[in-house]
Amino acid sequence: MIKVKNLHKKFGDLTVLDGIDEHIEQGEVVVIIGPSGSGKSTFLRCLNLLEKATDGEIYVDDERINAPKVNVNRVRQKMGMVFQQFNLFPHLTIMDNITLAPVLLKKMTKEEAVRRGQELLERVNLAEKADAYPAQLSGGQKQRVAIARALAMNPEIMLFDEPTSALDPEMVGEVLDVMKDLARSGMTMVIVTHEMGFAREVASRVLFIDQGKVMESGTPEQVFGNPQNERTKLFLSKVL
Amino acid sequence: MTGLQVWWADFCADFYSSFIREDRYKLLIDGVGVTIKVSLLAIAIGILIGVLIALCNVSGFKPLKIIGGIYTDIIRGTPSVTQLMFIYFVIFANVHWEKWIIAAIAFGINSGAYVSEIIRAGILSVDHGQTEAGRSLGLNAYQTMSRIVIPQAVKNIFPALCNEFIVLIKETAIVGYVGLMDIQKAGDFIKSATYKPVMPLLGTAVIYYVLIKILTLALRQVEKFLRRSDNR
Repeated sequence: MIKVKNLHKKFGDLTVLDGIDEHIEQGEVVVIIGPSGSGKSTFLRCLNLLEKATDGEIYVDDERINAPKVNVNRVRQKMGMVFQQFNLFPHLTIMDNITLAPVLLKKMTKEEAVRRGQELLERVNLAEKADAYPAQLSGGQKQRVAIARALAMNPEIMLFDEPTSALDPEMVGEVLDVMKDLARSGMTMVIVTHEMGFAREVASRVLFIDQGKVMESGTPEQVFGNPQNERTKLFLSKVL
Repeated sequence: MTGLQVWWADFCADFYSSFIREDRYKLLIDGVGVTIKVSLLAIAIGILIGVLIALCNVSGFKPLKIIGGIYTDIIRGTPSVTQLMFIYFVIFANVHWEKWIIAAIAFGINSGAYVSEIIRAGILSVDHGQTEAGRSLGLNAYQTMSRIVIPQAVKNIFPALCNEFIVLIKETAIVGYVGLMDIQKAGDFIKSATYKPVMPLLGTAVIYYVLIKILTLALRQVEKFLRRSDNR
């Protein structure tokens, strides 16, 4: 579903991604772990073209997406993105946050979008908040709305960029529950997180990225239980 | 007669000669009309120019940025009286439009420079994450700007914009320089007829004050409406 070949990303002289090759299959839940500054968020942002890869190829459904003349907006509609800082639109109600893109991009009529929005809000347990504004919600609630907003476009892939890092500890669980539910439904997911327990429980595959390279990749049992790479061992010894 | 009674009699006589005799109040009422006409058109022109220049400034396109920069620089660096007179007596010297329209254009051009800076700051004040969220949903740059960034920017810049409008209304008190009879000029005219400055100046001040008070209260209601999403 996603193929990445020899992906490089430089910011000026700083090499952030140093040759990443990766295949992500449909239905996989790939959890990316690694120390801060290792390039894991940048990798995720390259996948939906929020960052422009310096070199390398990215394919989604066998279409090369980081080529000139590719319709970036159409590519992004296949991929939902959830941000660390939620990035809900504060001037819109929760329902309008969810329906804005599907209606504006003519994927649904207003009525269809509202119906779908209601479904999604029920799915994330926030049905009663449809008419509230983001400022009235807690962090955990905001992030659940952000997930619903991304799902409203019916994406094939969901990308999560440290979705629980900006949350108070007691709110992490409610967001992870929604993500677990999503994983069980068969959604293809790529998740950057520091929640090792969650990674172990939900991931079909764990990637350890350090210094812009995939150092280790395998099932949670392999990566957490029996890491092969020295850097992985060092990292896990600090966080587990 | 006591001192107070003398003062009161003088006051009434002064009031009568300044405003009632020869229907002088009508000059002020006509002046209010001129001030409002010039101000409203100038505000409209100012917003239009301000938006265009702000877009020039935030666009990545160098020549547009330079044009926007020069415009802002000249307008902010010269007095508005000079600009008004230059536009009226030089640029529009051979254009026979109504005086108030030319004056409004001059004030609009002046205001546009300030409005553009306010708008630019407003656009930059919206967190970049908002743009990223919009783009990640598949909206294009224009849709993201118009549906996500601008509405939030408007809310942020509204108080500064109101302030600019109020400054602009008071600034129009110099239109007498090009022969328009606005509130200020009407007051001057009465003063030179009666040789008594107190009443006409007080009257002028009170009229401006009331106009601006009304505008301020109205704009505050608009702001409340814009801020409805901030309620917790």
